[in-house]
Amino acid sequence: MAKVAREMVERAGINVDQLLELLVKNAAAELTTYYYYTILRVNLIGLEGEGIKEIAEAARIEDRNHFEALVPRIYELGGELPQDMKEFHDMSACPPAYLPEDPTDIKAMLTVLVEAERCAVRGYTQICNMTAGKDHRTYDLALAILNEEIQHESWFSEFLGEGPSGHFMRHGETSPFVSKFLQ
Amino acid sequence: MREFTKEELARYDGQDGAPAYIAYQGKVYDVSDSFLWQKGRHQALHHAGADLTDELDQAPHGADLLARVPVIGRLRED
Repeated sequence: MAKVAREMVERAGINVDQLLELLVKNAAAELTTYYYYTILRVNLIGLEGEGIKEIAEAARIEDRNHFEALVPRIYELGGELPQDMKEFHDMSACPPAYLPEDPTDIKAMLTVLVEAERCAVRGYTQICNMTAGKDHRTYDLALAILNEEIQHESWFSEFLGEGPSGHFMRHGETSPFVSKFLQ
Repeated sequence: MREFTKEELARYDGQDGAPAYIAYQGKVYDVSDSFLWQKGRHQALHHAGADLTDELDQAPHGADLLARVPVIGRLRED
């Protein structure tokens, strides 16, 4: 634990135990989403599915990166991950992104993907709101993740016909915002 | 539709196997089956068995998400 780092956050008026619970729940959401997106990606096949596979893969890898980036902050603040993976899964901040009944239904697949991203956008917005101006390091991390989650949402939203995302998909590199936390 | 006082609503806090109910703008919702309300707690900050009208205004989502859970009653104004 980074004793003074935690003390600074407490002295800024943040309930650190509450913040830690949120960080662990969102870390669980990232790792479980990485797992469920693996199944979704595998099933994105055919003429329609192949067009979405690349962005599902980028979102999958970046969600794993988010998990990796969150873990050090959890331990710095004196928190920990549960010993039991089942407990970790069930405490996720977002529901499981299960494969739809008909995996060839591309709209249903995209709906699962966009709902997962929207849950994440809400989660990191909450953490940003809670830490802004008080816990600079957690805020910086949550904001970096939020930037990527918003991009993920907009990619899938675009395919659902909700309007243009306004940007291109990744070209090779992943996590343009979060990579600084992965050193 | 069943009416709840605040005291009655407080019994449905999702703890020890109790159902989890929340109130918003006079309606009572059953969130017991929601993944996001396990054991009557939501995102580390909110607790079932209470009127969350004010808390929802601070949440990073709107009341539209409540359409995903059933309305099971009304909260009586005291």
